[in-house]
Amino acid sequence: MTQAVIGTFALSGVEPLAVEVQADVGAGLPSFAVVGLGDTAVMESRDRVRAALRASGFDFPSARIVVNLAPAPVRKHGTGFDLPIALSILAATGQVPRTALEGVRAVGELALDGRVRAVPGALAHAVGAVARGEALVGAIECESAVAAVPSLVYHGTATLAALRLGLPPASTCQRHARVYQPPPTPDLSDVAGQEGGKRVLEISAAGGLNVLFVGPPGAGKTMLARRLPGILPPLDPAEALETAIVHSVAGVDERPALAGVRPFRAPHHTASTAGLVGGGVPPRAGEASLAHNGVLFLDELAEFGPAALQALRQPLEDGAVRIVRAEGRVTYPSRFTLVAAMNPCPCGFAGVAALKDCTCTDAIIARYQARIGGPLLDRIDLSYRIDRLEPERLLQGPSGPDSATIRERVVQAGEFARTRPGPPVRLLSGAELLAACRLPPAARRTVMACAKLYELSGRGVTRLLRVARTIADLDRSVRVTVEHVREAATYRASIR
Amino acid sequence: MSVPASGWELRIGEPGYPACLLDSLRPPRVLYGMGDPRLLRSGLGVIGSRKTSPYGRSCAQLFAGWAAEQGVVIVSGAAMGCDHEAHRAAIDAEGPTVAVLGCGPDIDYPPASRKLLAEIREQGLVVSEQPWGTEPTKWMFPQRNRIIAALGAALLVVEAGLPSGTFSTADHAADIGRPVLVVPGSIFYPGCTGCNRLLRQGATPITEVSDLADELRSLDLLDTAHDMGLPDVRLALSPVRGRDRELALALAANPMRPDDAAYALGMDLVGVARSLAALEATGLITRYPDGRYGPARAR
Repeated sequence: MTQAVIGTFALSGVEPLAVEVQADVGAGLPSFAVVGLGDTAVMESRDRVRAALRASGFDFPSARIVVNLAPAPVRKHGTGFDLPIALSILAATGQVPRTALEGVRAVGELALDGRVRAVPGALAHAVGAVARGEALVGAIECESAVAAVPSLVYHGTATLAALRLGLPPASTCQRHARVYQPPPTPDLSDVAGQEGGKRVLEISAAGGLNVLFVGPPGAGKTMLARRLPGILPPLDPAEALETAIVHSVAGVDERPALAGVRPFRAPHHTASTAGLVGGGVPPRAGEASLAHNGVLFLDELAEFGPAALQALRQPLEDGAVRIVRAEGRVTYPSRFTLVAAMNPCPCGFAGVAALKDCTCTDAIIARYQARIGGPLLDRIDLSYRIDRLEPERLLQGPSGPDSATIRERVVQAGEFARTRPGPPVRLLSGAELLAACRLPPAARRTVMACAKLYELSGRGVTRLLRVARTIADLDRSVRVTVEHVREAATYRASIR
Repeated sequence: MSVPASGWELRIGEPGYPACLLDSLRPPRVLYGMGDPRLLRSGLGVIGSRKTSPYGRSCAQLFAGWAAEQGVVIVSGAAMGCDHEAHRAAIDAEGPTVAVLGCGPDIDYPPASRKLLAEIREQGLVVSEQPWGTEPTKWMFPQRNRIIAALGAALLVVEAGLPSGTFSTADHAADIGRPVLVVPGSIFYPGCTGCNRLLRQGATPITEVSDLADELRSLDLLDTAHDMGLPDVRLALSPVRGRDRELALALAANPMRPDDAAYALGMDLVGVARSLAALEATGLITRYPDGRYGPARAR
């Protein structure tokens, strides 16, 4: 028999699709064709496979070779097909034992000298293999990463030659062979003053609520925002894997996420729509997805392109990005806490005490603030003005509790909130939210008074209640009291 | 340029030409107007800087609104800021108001005042010494200030920094013997430096509505017998107690952001944040667009 089949995966977003690599080695003029809608990288794999086979001491058959990637109509991208293509040819020509490749999927790129290299998405392939109850063969360098996937049988190999006698022994994972030390995150106690900004971050961390800081340049908006990850509770193992898969597919280092560090993504304001929410050919994850289960920080919010900002509405609403392209639909998970910072006006100094500094007219300020757009502002729960500190206070040095202390409070608030049945506060609205708040009559009156005084829309009231419920969680109070509602009202939007 | 439908022209010496304008060192030869010509009588000039603080706006609203309610013509320049607030308060009080422009009276300048000017042409009077269709140029505005000074029997400056165009109007007023009334401002706030300098130069301070009432009475702009209710300019704090009261008093003296208030009063930020919303609910304290909290519209 001159045919052989081995399984592999193609990726559609973070979803592994099972693909069969079928090789036929038959009589005819020597040739080597790969069919089944591969991209340029797949077509080039013919040259890598040919060289790698020879370098590893195998024979490259002088025959008519056809490799089919089935299902043929699905577009296939990337260099991960090198290893399965090589293995299918070797099995078809009897150079590796055919039985060794049953129930196994192979993913890996080949170097010309026969080494097996890692490809992006190893974690997604691993999850796919476990879901199908199959083993995975791939580069040895992925071993520590895929160890995070429970009950995976992974055969890591450094070279193609090592597969001559069948698969290498499965690593039942030297878990944490090398313990990864995540880089230290900056601490909130480095920041002098800004008690309000720190409190807003604490509430945001406890409830997963979105934040907008408005203030002049140099006031400390960015400094505060960068300290949010340090007070967030660590990722639980399921979240860590979800996030790490997105990072793995995107070719971003997945070790921090696997170690429980929440991602903090800070795209520059020149980011395109595709860069921010995903897109391109093949459809790639955007920053909003790389921030999955973490923080997406948009500095200079008003300088972002309007199209890019409006595209954020879908992930903010649904926790996922659906990219629709001619070749199909791709979904990336995208549930993040949005932290945005902006100046109050183009020159940045509107409302700073020394009035003459600001050179913008009211009309220019209004136009600048209108760039954000109501629908996006509607999804920001907490808003706070950050101003420059008086020099005397700056020189008094940092103040307030450190990140570890606040993180402890945040974790406890989270534990308290989980004693309530139902989804977390940030996903609640309407009757469910009201039920979770358990407002005493006085607090109910305060909510109504606030709605009237601040002319809140229905969504505005929802935001007020979500923030109040989170503050109550920080106080470990079953009921949302008048005081909680009032504090929430102080963090309402300052621009409209 | 043709005369607009509601427009009229009035030459010096013609009947209806206001006597108070003749006090000016250089009375305008021709007045071009749109609106009610009967409003060309002695009134109260209310002026201030274009860039204002909420304090300046509150003062303009309070004094102009009250005077207009008493039937005193509010004369101003339809510029942004204090002028705008003064006209608006007069219109809201359904009182008389005159806008003196530096361009033709049919030109909407500044553009942001378009809506306001339309209302003044309807319910009050827009007047200028520049003919129809004259586009604004820089030198026309100091010229127009002498008309504002002369049309008012007194001039009230609600808020002015340094340097300020307000001073040209105040100088014109002083030159022709019109009393200059000034609302004092914070000594810390740069936007009030001009006001406080005018006070030091001998202007009359206005710290109560009754101060203004006395001045207007002495100028025969108010009916002496008529007893009008005088609004209190200070915060009605009687129902507010404890932490809220201490905070409200501090903010009334000096609008601050929550962080600064907490620091200045040695309070906990969370407590301040909670008190602020309680004070906002009473209507005494409000959040300004720049994030500071201070006294709400003084009405």
